[in-house]
Amino acid sequence: MTILRGGVFDSGTNKGTDDLTELRDLADDIGSRSFESRIGRRSLPDAFDATAWRHLDEAGLTRLVSSADSGGGPVEAAVLLRSLARHAVTVPVAETDVLAGWLAAQAGLDVPAAGPLTVAITPACPAGGRVTATASAVPYAGDAVAVVLALRDGDRLLTAVARAEELPIAKGHNAGGEPRDTVEVDLAADRFAELDSVVAEELTRRGAWARCIQMIGALDAAVEFSVAHTREREQFGRPLSAFQSVQHTLAGMAGEVERARAAVDLAVAAAADHGFGAPQTDHAVTVAKVTLGRVVPSVVTAAHQLHGAIGATIEHRLWLVTMRARSWVTEFGDTAGYARRLGRRALAATDPWLVVVDGAAG
Amino acid sequence: MNGDSYEALCANEPELAKLRDSLREFLAADRAEFGWQPSVDAWLSSWDEQFSARLGDAGFLGLTIPPEYGGHGLGHLHRYVVTEELLVSGAPVAAHWIADRQVGPGLLAYGTEEQRHRILPEVAAGRLFSAIGMSEPQAGSDLAAAAAKATPSDGGWVLSGTKVWTSGAHLAHQVVVLARTSPPDPQHRHAGFSQFIVPTDSPGISISPIVLMSGEHHFNEITFDEVFIDAANLLGEVGNGWRQVTAELSFERSGPERILTTAPLLTALVRVLADQPPLDDHAAAAVGDLLARLISLRQLSISVARALAEGRSPVNEAALVKDLGTRFEQDSVELADDLASYASAEGRESVAALLNRARLHAPLFTLRGGTNEVLRGMVARGMGLR
Repeated sequence: MTILRGGVFDSGTNKGTDDLTELRDLADDIGSRSFESRIGRRSLPDAFDATAWRHLDEAGLTRLVSSADSGGGPVEAAVLLRSLARHAVTVPVAETDVLAGWLAAQAGLDVPAAGPLTVAITPACPAGGRVTATASAVPYAGDAVAVVLALRDGDRLLTAVARAEELPIAKGHNAGGEPRDTVEVDLAADRFAELDSVVAEELTRRGAWARCIQMIGALDAAVEFSVAHTREREQFGRPLSAFQSVQHTLAGMAGEVERARAAVDLAVAAAADHGFGAPQTDHAVTVAKVTLGRVVPSVVTAAHQLHGAIGATIEHRLWLVTMRARSWVTEFGDTAGYARRLGRRALAATDPWLVVVDGAAG
Repeated sequence: MNGDSYEALCANEPELAKLRDSLREFLAADRAEFGWQPSVDAWLSSWDEQFSARLGDAGFLGLTIPPEYGGHGLGHLHRYVVTEELLVSGAPVAAHWIADRQVGPGLLAYGTEEQRHRILPEVAAGRLFSAIGMSEPQAGSDLAAAAAKATPSDGGWVLSGTKVWTSGAHLAHQVVVLARTSPPDPQHRHAGFSQFIVPTDSPGISISPIVLMSGEHHFNEITFDEVFIDAANLLGEVGNGWRQVTAELSFERSGPERILTTAPLLTALVRVLADQPPLDDHAAAAVGDLLARLISLRQLSISVARALAEGRSPVNEAALVKDLGTRFEQDSVELADDLASYASAEGRESVAALLNRARLHAPLFTLRGGTNEVLRGMVARGMGLR
C-alpha cells in the first residue's frame, strides 16, 4: 500500500484501509468543500482560502511536522499535502509546517502559534548594520501572520522572523493562481540568527519534497478530470473515451503519474525513516524532482489536449491543477539542476548501479 | 522496520542487500574464471548451460521453490533482487530463464506432486531448460486465436499444430504448450485451452529456426505432427489453460527484465564517462535524466513486486511497468548513443558491441510477451474506459 495512494487505480483489488485512511478522508473532505466553493467563480488570482485554513487548523493539521505534540510526521504531512493539492486548496500548509516552522526552530526563533506562515528565500545584502533584500515569488506572504526570512549570504543563512506589517509586500501570483508575492526586506542586522549552509540546503530539499508531493496530487486530479471529461463528451456519435487513441493517451498519462508516485513515495519514506537531512532523502528528492520535471509537462499537455479548448478557460477546473503543477516544477530548484546533480553523483560513484539501487549507498 | 521503509522500497533491506552482495561476488569470480562477456538482452540471447548449472549449484536458482522440491523457499523479492543483479551484470542467463521464471511458478501453482518432484529440482539446479509455446502464425497479439489442438488418446493426448517465436526451443529439454482441448466457442473465446509439458525429443516434433535480422538464432517455429503426450504431462486442469497462462503474467510483466534489458550498456557507458575529464553540464544532466527515469521505473516495479508478494493483484500497474519499462529500454539505446559521443574513441570502442546488439534487439522490447498496444488497452480497461 503506497503512502501516496490514490489516483485512478486505487480501487478494486487494491482498495482497503490503512492507518492513514482517516487522515486522507478528512483532508479530502476539507479539500472538496474548498473546491466546490469556487465552482462558478474561479478567477485569477485565486485568493488564500481562509475557510479551508480554519477547518485545517481546527483539525490540528496545520502544524503536523513542526509541532512536537501533533503526533504527525512526514508521512502524515505527505498524505495531507497530496489531498490538498488534488483539490487545489489555496493554503500554505507546506510553507507553514514543512518550511517556516522548522526553519524558525532551527534558528531558535519563535513564530506565532497559529495562523499561516511562509518563508522568503533570497540572497541578502548586509551592510551598515542593516540587512536588505528583495524576495520574489514568496508564497502567501500577503496572507501570512509572519514571514520567516532565509537570506543567503555566502555560506551563511541569515534567519529572522518578521511580522507581515514590517515588510512591504507586493501581491502577485503564479500561473495556477496561488499567491506569490514580492517582499522587500530592510531590517536591523541584530534581528537575524546565523545558520550554516547545511540548513539552507535542507530548506531547499524540504521545499522540493513538499512540491513533489503536491504535484502528485495535482496530477491525480488532472487524470481524474481527463477520464471524466472523455467519458462525458461525445463527438462523432460516441464518447471520446471510446476512441482507442484517446484510451492510449489516458493510459500513457496514468502510467507516467504512477511512475512519479513511486519516486515520490520513496522520498516520503526517506524523510520519515532518515530525516530531511539524510543522504537517502537528498537522493530520493533529487530523483523525484527530476522525474516530476519530465512527467508534469507531458501529463499537463495530454490533459489539455483531451479537454479541448474548454480546459484552457478560466471557468474550467482543469487549469487550477495543471498550472499549479507546472509552476511547482520550477520551484526549489529546476529540473536540469537536479538532473545534473544526479548525473554527477552517478559519475562519481564506484558503480552507477549502486546509485540506482539505493542512492545513499553509491 | 515497517513494511514501507526506505530500504524496503529500494528492495535493499539487510537480508536482500546481503543476497545482492553474495551474488555480485559470485558473478565477479565466475566471470573472472570463465570469461563470459556481459551482454544486453542476455535473457533472450546469452545461452550458457554451464553458467546456469554453476548458478544453480551456488544456490541462486529456484529461490521461491520450496526446499521439498529442491528449491530455497525464499520470497518473491529475493528472486527479484537476484534477477536484477543477473541482468545488470549482463550474465548469460538465457538457458535457465524460462524454466526459472515461468515453469517453476507454473508447476507450483498447477502441477501435480509427481510433476513437481520430477521437474522442480532440475529447475533449481539450473539443469532443466524449457521453452514456452504460445503464439502461432495466426495468433500473435490475439492469443485466443491459437489453434494448436490436443485430443484425448489412450494414456494421454495427441497434439497437432504450430507454435512460433518459441525462444530457445532448439536447445531446450521441453516446451510448455498452450493448446485447444475443446473447439472454439465464439461466446467464450478463452475457454477450452489446456497446458502440456512436451519433451522436445518427442516423435513428431520438428523445430526450425526463425533467424533475427541480426543473424542470431533464438526463436523457432515448432511443428507438432500428431505428437503423443503422456497423461502425466498435462499441466493443471483441462480447459483451465487460459487462466493458468494469464494468472501469473503480472510477475512477468512487472519484473526487472522489463526495465534492465539494456542496463549492462548503460552502466558500462557511465563508467567510461566517469573515467574521463568531467562532463559538461548538459551531458551530466543527460546522465541524470536517464538515471531518474530508470530509478523511478524501478521504484514502480518494486511497488508492484511488493504488492504481488503480499498476495494482491495489481494487474494495471503491472501492465504499466511493461509499457513504460520497455519504452524506456528502447529510448535508452538512443540516449546511450548520444552520450557515447562524449566518450573517447577508446571508450566508444569498449561499448560498441553492447550498443550494436542493443540497437538490433530494441524493436523486440515492446513486442515480446504482449505488445504495448495490447497492454495500454488493458490499462484503459482498468481505468474504466472500455
